[in-house]
Amino acid sequence: MAYEFRLPDIGEGMAEGEIVRWLVKQGDVLTQDQPMVEIMTDKATVEIATPRAGRVLQCCFKEGERCPVGEVLVIIDTASDASRTPGPAAPTPLPTPLPAPVAHAPTPRPETVLATPAVRKLAREMDVALTGVRGTGPGGQITADDVRTAKVSAGLVAPTPRPTVTGDVRIPFRGVRRKIAEHMLRTQREVAQFTYMEEVDATELVELRSKAEARLSSHDVRLSYLPFFIRATVDALKKQPQLNSYLDEKAGEIVQRHEYNIGLAAQTPEGLMVPVIRHADKRSLLELAREVERLATAARTGRVSPSDLGGSTFTITSLGALGGLSATPIINYPEVAILAVHKIAKRPAVVDDRIVIREIMNVSLSVDHRMVDGHDAAMFVAEIKASLETPGLLFLESR
Amino acid sequence: MSAKPTSKARSGQSQAESIEAFSDAEEARATGLLQILDENGVTHGPVPALSAADLVRMYEGMVRGRLLDEHLLTMQRQGRIGMYLDARGQEAGVIAAAHALATDDYFVPALREGSAALYRGLPLRAYLAQMLGNVNDPAHGRQMPGQVGSRASHHVIGSSSVASQMPHATGLAWAARMRGERSVVVGFVGDGGTSEDDFQSGLNFAAVFKAPVVFVCQNNQWAISTPLSTQTAAASIAIKGLAFGVPSTRVDGNDVLALYAAIKAAIDRARAGDGPSFIESVTYRLGTHGPTDDPKRYRDPTEAAAWQNKDPLLRFGIWLHGQGILTVDAQTATRQRIDDEIRAAITAEEAAGPPSMTSLFDDVLAEPTWILSEQRAEYLRVRKRRNP
Repeated sequence: MAYEFRLPDIGEGMAEGEIVRWLVKQGDVLTQDQPMVEIMTDKATVEIATPRAGRVLQCCFKEGERCPVGEVLVIIDTASDASRTPGPAAPTPLPTPLPAPVAHAPTPRPETVLATPAVRKLAREMDVALTGVRGTGPGGQITADDVRTAKVSAGLVAPTPRPTVTGDVRIPFRGVRRKIAEHMLRTQREVAQFTYMEEVDATELVELRSKAEARLSSHDVRLSYLPFFIRATVDALKKQPQLNSYLDEKAGEIVQRHEYNIGLAAQTPEGLMVPVIRHADKRSLLELAREVERLATAARTGRVSPSDLGGSTFTITSLGALGGLSATPIINYPEVAILAVHKIAKRPAVVDDRIVIREIMNVSLSVDHRMVDGHDAAMFVAEIKASLETPGLLFLESR
Repeated sequence: MSAKPTSKARSGQSQAESIEAFSDAEEARATGLLQILDENGVTHGPVPALSAADLVRMYEGMVRGRLLDEHLLTMQRQGRIGMYLDARGQEAGVIAAAHALATDDYFVPALREGSAALYRGLPLRAYLAQMLGNVNDPAHGRQMPGQVGSRASHHVIGSSSVASQMPHATGLAWAARMRGERSVVVGFVGDGGTSEDDFQSGLNFAAVFKAPVVFVCQNNQWAISTPLSTQTAAASIAIKGLAFGVPSTRVDGNDVLALYAAIKAAIDRARAGDGPSFIESVTYRLGTHGPTDDPKRYRDPTEAAAWQNKDPLLRFGIWLHGQGILTVDAQTATRQRIDDEIRAAITAEEAAGPPSMTSLFDDVLAEPTWILSEQRAEYLRVRKRRNP
């Protein structure tokens, strides 16, 4: 008898799980409660054991694929249960999973795909077969976004791994990498982004930091430039609150945040992550420095805690000494702006009509032009420039 | 209290201004670690007076908890039960308290103490019916799986609100005293719970009114992903009790003998009318917080591995074997027998099926109002039309 194991909701309201690893393969004979697959949900990676003994007829999803809750994950032939455990009889006609009390809308079958005519048209234009698309709309309806996502996945994921003769390295596209891709793409798709660049004379800042660091030598914290950038950003955000906001499309409102939670784009062993300095406006420069250091260490060692992720209201990206000249950073959706700070280097500059050597740094600000006008972006950058060129200003309203 | 301190007078304060707080001995009890059975299964100091039958029963209670955890966790992942929070590694405190209580006493669980209800008489099948929320569950699945209660076993139904157990236990104990009953209450809380207002309220009220209650904090080091180091700046959790004037003891939470000795002494004290006690049971959550939690994301795996060696069952098993009370072979047989019981009970309760839809109306009021009766009739009419 073929028993279909459907992926249950093993979290609290999860919609799907990504297959991390199969622990069994087609043809394997399983005993009851033998672990068969590792599944990653939004919150955790867990092992699922088979509720029935028998021979695996089919693993219905490949590693890296995502199985929606309620879909058949694995099919087991319980008749060929060669390894039935002696003693207590296997739970005979169990209703597993228990039948739902009322008939809910069943998962749409391929022949009854739910999609509006506009979505069907889009799918035809994009050459996406709707039967293979999972609907996230009401009652399993396929939305325009689902079609676009399917197109993207099809473009980015190689459907069948071809035998490699050239020595190419094939890396499974999943987990954090795929999350990053989806997130970046979302910004590109939904945001009208433009980037504004400016030059900052950081000579005084460089002096101030080296003096401060000399004084701090007894402290257990390394004072980088980042705390100064964060402070300058927060001060500028207070004057230009439209950059510390997001668009609540459902409510039709632009939400200006009262919190200043600054995300810091960081490279981790798993890929790009954005740990967050919460309430950056309520921290002194030294407190910011400690927090930066803590998050940097966590990022470097790949131990960023989930509580340090999410909830940022504005993001800063800094590549430190690598920093480059300028960039077009991609906004961390749903935020409306991101600031890239580049390397500080000695360059010739004109001061009082004379060419002198100054410490020059560039900044690049990408904003969502839907919410932020060019003038406001320029004002924001001018604020930051003023603060960093005369860093004493940073202490005017410091806490 | 006996000898009163002088060492507590802080420098800069005159002796005349200082007040007597607690003695060095009391402080030592709240910051030290009471241990009788160490992780190698060797005893230190006097072993509490427990018969061989009692010891075997306690061992079985702990094994039952462990095996149920293993089965129910697997079942949760298979979608057969909705939710489960296990107690692996923390069985000693649960069973020590359950054993120390008299029949008329009350157990107020936090969230990982279900096996205490079994130990105090709740039938295994009733316990599993609650997990499944099936037709045999008195609440028909309307309480979170694992938050089992039993009126007959004086096991108060679980509350998911962190630390609410403290005032509950205090209120229950105070009520018992007002009614002139001799019953004592044991209330559980976690390390995270000790940061809650209810922890303060429960302890304070109990201390002031000398409620016959014993608070046990299962300090398993992790409140979901919050480690003890960021939970409290206090030297220990037990020492918090001293501020409320409650005698407090820090105990090895994986040592069932020490836990029994401490909890039993506290219960005797409460029954004698001398008021509450607080016990910190220093243990470790070997598993996850719950089904949606993944400790790999915040916990050093070597930490859990180190605690595996301190497993309460492991050391108790070694000692029972050495004492000739229960040999290793007998322990294996015990595990097999209990596992068979559990499998049979799961099979039987799963076959019982879900509660009827009409229970939605029938479970609301003892005597249904006309609105409920009408809705029930309407439901039956619709069902008949859809499935003639």
